[in-house]
Amino acid sequence: MNRMNWRFLAILALALSLIVAACGGDDDETATTEAAEPTETTEAMADEEPLKVAFVHVGPVADKGWSWAHDQGAQYLEANANVEITTLESIPEGSDSQRVFEDLAAAGNQVIFGTSFGYMDPMLAASENFPDVAFLHATGFKTGPGMGNYFGAAEEGRYLSGMAAGAATETNLIGYVAAFPIPEVLRGINAFTLGAQETNPDAQVQVVWTSTWFDPPKEGAAAKSLLDAGADVIAMHQDSAAPGQEAEAAGAKWVGYNTDMTEFAPSAWLTAAIWDWGPYYLQTVEDFVAGTWEPTAYYGNMADGMVDLAPYGESVDQATIDLIEERKAQIIDGSFNVFPDPIVNQDGAEQPLGDIFSMDFFIQGVIGSPTG
Amino acid sequence: MTTRRIIVEPRGLASLRLTLGIPAASVLLALIVGAIFLALTGNSPWEVYRQMAKTAFGSARGLSETLISATPLILTGVAAAVAFKMLVWNIGAEGQFIMGAVFAAGAGIALGSGTPALIAIPVVILAGGVGGAFWASVSAVPKVYLGVNEIITTLMLNFIALNFMYYLIFGSSSPWRDPEVSQFPSGRPIPDSGRIPEIFGSQRLDYGFFIAVAFAILAWFLISKTRWGFEVRVVGDSSDTARYAGIAVPRKFLGVFLMSGAFAGLAGSLYVAGPVGALDPRSLDLGLGFTGIIVAALARLNPVAVVPVGILMGALNNAGPSLQSIQVPAATVQMLQGAILIFAVAGEFFIANRLRRPEKKPQVAVAAQGGEA
Repeated sequence: MNRMNWRFLAILALALSLIVAACGGDDDETATTEAAEPTETTEAMADEEPLKVAFVHVGPVADKGWSWAHDQGAQYLEANANVEITTLESIPEGSDSQRVFEDLAAAGNQVIFGTSFGYMDPMLAASENFPDVAFLHATGFKTGPGMGNYFGAAEEGRYLSGMAAGAATETNLIGYVAAFPIPEVLRGINAFTLGAQETNPDAQVQVVWTSTWFDPPKEGAAAKSLLDAGADVIAMHQDSAAPGQEAEAAGAKWVGYNTDMTEFAPSAWLTAAIWDWGPYYLQTVEDFVAGTWEPTAYYGNMADGMVDLAPYGESVDQATIDLIEERKAQIIDGSFNVFPDPIVNQDGAEQPLGDIFSMDFFIQGVIGSPTG
Repeated sequence: MTTRRIIVEPRGLASLRLTLGIPAASVLLALIVGAIFLALTGNSPWEVYRQMAKTAFGSARGLSETLISATPLILTGVAAAVAFKMLVWNIGAEGQFIMGAVFAAGAGIALGSGTPALIAIPVVILAGGVGGAFWASVSAVPKVYLGVNEIITTLMLNFIALNFMYYLIFGSSSPWRDPEVSQFPSGRPIPDSGRIPEIFGSQRLDYGFFIAVAFAILAWFLISKTRWGFEVRVVGDSSDTARYAGIAVPRKFLGVFLMSGAFAGLAGSLYVAGPVGALDPRSLDLGLGFTGIIVAALARLNPVAVVPVGILMGALNNAGPSLQSIQVPAATVQMLQGAILIFAVAGEFFIANRLRRPEKKPQVAVAAQGGEA
């Protein structure tokens, strides 16, 4: 027993000394990089301190979807402004996230972007505790003295991608893997359906809810169930490419979202409504530096470039492309509105369009329940 | 022929020195292994640990955030500890936590803003306990009277509770849902009179932490200092002995099961009436009930030891995101947190068991050993 104790201690001591050595080595490295960096920055940016900017994402930025698109915007910002960016990923929504936002503010970040809906109330609370910091929340509807919000008219891109889906379907059944039954998602489904009906009046859109933003297995399973039900085109709202991979495997077509995801399902790919957040991020930071930033609600669209349409897949024929491009030009010049008013709802009755930001109904041609 | 070169045997009663020393050594070892892992992935272990300690304990705000994270874990830990102590395998703290939150939010909303806080707050908190006990009874009653395996029922009821909560907010216009917010299904705020007040001068910490500690001490007292607790412990050691001694085993079993559920439910009410303030599924669906099982295991099923362990877990949870700001990837942070837990739980094995070399008696064994060496 005694001998074993000694041996254990010896191993422990050895391990500890290794760690100390490892730490020491790393510390040296950090020191050299820290010493090297300022010279570079000084050359490029006079000797101004970079502005500390932070981004908080609900999923991993490598999702190639929603968070990835925001991260592309952050990289655009980094390339065009004197900023030091901190990126936090996979931060759960809900009240616990207030701590994360306050930690970032306490660490000296001056502009903090939260890119998921569920950060709204926690960010608003954090902005009250850190009044000198600019908080910007994507997709929400609340603003405060220190918090603005931003989003864009994805429905414009949805409508156009729906046109491609309507032209592609042969069974006249399009499957839609939907996230949460909220106005943003309902707007997308309705706009998509209207677009599909323009190129194919018989097209119907069947909706399955997953209650997720990023859960590839669940979203893939939902797509599979829609394919089994006879859908030959899959559309989706979430941040993963899993539905597209299911469509590819089944020989069906796929309309993505957020980014150009051609690489995940090259033969299934049709197109997608995509985001370009970079110019907005740059503008916001420039306004903040100039002292002209206001905590407003910003709603971008195709005309200002925040929303766009991804490159078309090989299977989209030229006639459809021409049709879509014509509509796109009309959307950009303001002569075409995605939603008619009044609008025909799921029961076939005409109703006033109302405020699209609190849309809570499905239009005619959508199969499924708008309450999830 | 193989000979076992190390023999594992139960230690019986471990000394106090071992009981305290081994968990400490386990955590230390976890940090060392974590450091090797961090160094291999190109991060500075010293920087990472310093950042973790600084975030979790280095400022008044950090410490208060750690205690906020610890509060529900202490009570779900107590829930698991009291149940496992008596071999009641209640894996349902997650569901009982959620039902506690549902009941507490419901009570707060039903009482409305007109009820004085002195009445509303205790009612809201206790409603959570009732909710948790009720949800535990759905498994406990079939277990005690029909012998239905509680591991399966409590586990399954977690998912039912979770989906029930989502239904209340997303799938229906229930009283829990806020009718004034049309943009996203949200929980209706609990009126301030039913919310646990924040500690004066702190940014977010409320009195819930101290209530949780008080409940942990109460659980310890009930188990260790009362006749009921003594009988419970006898049942936990051997239900045959207990039966022989005239203890009503099924009733004890039922009592412990419901008590365990009540503690998990109280965790739900303290959380929903504390930092969350509404039945918000995104804030409550964090696996706090499941984490309570780990807390209880680390605390060796001692309700009082659950308190420091809960604080440690709260600190880990609190420090995680901040590591990303020193360029440690999110996945590395989660692996580090997991490694610390595995080591800490593995240390338990060495408290319960002793390792020794076999005594040298049979000639064959010695020869075989020599051959291998």
